[in-house]
Amino acid sequence: MSYILNRILSMLLTLFLISAVTFAVTNILPGDVAMIIMGTQSNPEALAGLRESLGLNDPLLAQYGRWIGGMLSGDWGTSLVFKEPIAPLLLQKMTASALIVLLSMTIALVCAVPLGVWAAVYPNRWQDTASSSASLLGVSLPDFFWGIMMILLFARGLGWLPSSGFVDPGEDVLGAFRHALLPSLALGLGLMAHLTRMTRATMTGILNQEFIRVARAKGLGERTVIWRYALANAVGPVMTVAGLQVGYLFGSIIVVESLFNYTGMGWLTYQGLLNRDIPLIQATVFVVAAVVMLANLLVDLLYVVVDPRIRLS
Amino acid sequence: MKLPAAFRNSKGMIGAVLVLAILLVAVIAPMLIPDDWATRMDMRARLSPPTWAHPLGTDQLGRDLMYRVLLGAHTSVFIASSAVLMSIVIGLPLGLISGYVGRMTDNVLMRLVDTLLSFPALLLALTISAVLGPNLQNTIIAIGIAFTPYLARIIRGEALRVSHMPYVEAARTAGNSDRRLIVRHILPNIMPAVIVQSTISLAFAILAEAGLSFLGLGTQPPDASWGLMIQASRDYLDRAPWTALVPGAAVALTVLGLNMFGDALRDALDPRSKGAS
Repeated sequence: MSYILNRILSMLLTLFLISAVTFAVTNILPGDVAMIIMGTQSNPEALAGLRESLGLNDPLLAQYGRWIGGMLSGDWGTSLVFKEPIAPLLLQKMTASALIVLLSMTIALVCAVPLGVWAAVYPNRWQDTASSSASLLGVSLPDFFWGIMMILLFARGLGWLPSSGFVDPGEDVLGAFRHALLPSLALGLGLMAHLTRMTRATMTGILNQEFIRVARAKGLGERTVIWRYALANAVGPVMTVAGLQVGYLFGSIIVVESLFNYTGMGWLTYQGLLNRDIPLIQATVFVVAAVVMLANLLVDLLYVVVDPRIRLS
Repeated sequence: MKLPAAFRNSKGMIGAVLVLAILLVAVIAPMLIPDDWATRMDMRARLSPPTWAHPLGTDQLGRDLMYRVLLGAHTSVFIASSAVLMSIVIGLPLGLISGYVGRMTDNVLMRLVDTLLSFPALLLALTISAVLGPNLQNTIIAIGIAFTPYLARIIRGEALRVSHMPYVEAARTAGNSDRRLIVRHILPNIMPAVIVQSTISLAFAILAEAGLSFLGLGTQPPDASWGLMIQASRDYLDRAPWTALVPGAAVALTVLGLNMFGDALRDALDPRSKGAS
């Protein structure tokens, strides 16, 4: 119990630090919100007035206090580009992204684990070469390049799937799935390659251990040895890596959603960055970092469930 | 140094050849190819498929893709290596101090590093680039800062491991100063890890530069950059798929080479990770 309490306290501290870093990056660096709102040609008096009314002349600490207070109380400010309150906008886009993040994670895990195991079970044979070469190629190509290839093949070439856009699953489940599939594949391929490499490395380590030799020596079938004994021990490390990849995914969705015009969190972040919409950037960056941190916490806690050897102290 | 071992397997060899070839192109291409060859527009040959006159085809403005991709190597390699160098210059002392001094210093520094690690590297780089204003120099700064925490974390782990080795303890007991311990005993022994991580970071930095430029928040036109070329190809995919394939292949070959070489280096320098590639 004290372990969990400890983790939560540490999480709160990290959240605070994340907010400070977010605020620092977007504020200390040059760039003037008033100038962004009114344009570079606006008259100096109007600019000064706007700065005053936005509180930009207050000390940075006071501005930070106001911002973090707003974030905590659910008032996340108003987007300069969309002219809408940020909180509902962000939540709506997050649900759109959740669909492709979960879908790509599922695609990646379902393919990567068998491929990695396969490579580890037949080291240096054709199975290993095929799986390892494919995953090496997978980690070497940018996600947006996969995306472009898929648009060429599945959308333009074969005409099976739409090449861009987002459909709300609440209105049309099949349409939402069809629009989410290509972006998820583009995201999932790179992830799958990373996880395949990781699974292979972990399984290779485990298959060389004593207890596997014992299991084989006492006559257990190879299937039982690999899937029940070895894989059970590989689940933890692979899960940890998958959890770490959540951060990678939230970076990649910016590129992939922009490519597919899929209006989710990544697309929103990109619009904010392109237009230097500082309040929107602050909110999205903070939320993404917080989500990544929570995902890693969740993995750590799950680890305890999956691996009973870990005693919490 | 066990470096040559990395070239002994075919994967390391292919990787090394690829990396060398691209480095050579990056350095030599700007000297041999006049700048205007990559920006010269041949309006009668817009979106031309590969021909004798244009071996890799042309883009939407009739610019020769071969020259553009060769000169793009310089931009990509320069940005990526400067960014990785920057992350080493910041991350190495941070990691060393954290791992060597330990206690409170370690706690504070690593808390900061962990915080930075919560931000996806690409998001952090994009944000810094957007706030500073996208150009070549700021792209380097953005990627360099985004990669620093990863490097600092790995160096800290290595420094921690090495500083508790018996030979370091012995050197300390013999009356060596902290500075001498770090420079003479710890630094040389964490270099293998730094080299491996730098190679892998370089691969990621090439991808990051391509991503930033693809989104318009990295290298700016008229500079030739692989990410920019892929972005420009988006509107002409149906008619001229080679405009995307040529720069895409350039990115893939570079990153593939770096990854293969990095894997082989790691296997050669760190026997514990044998087969972990």
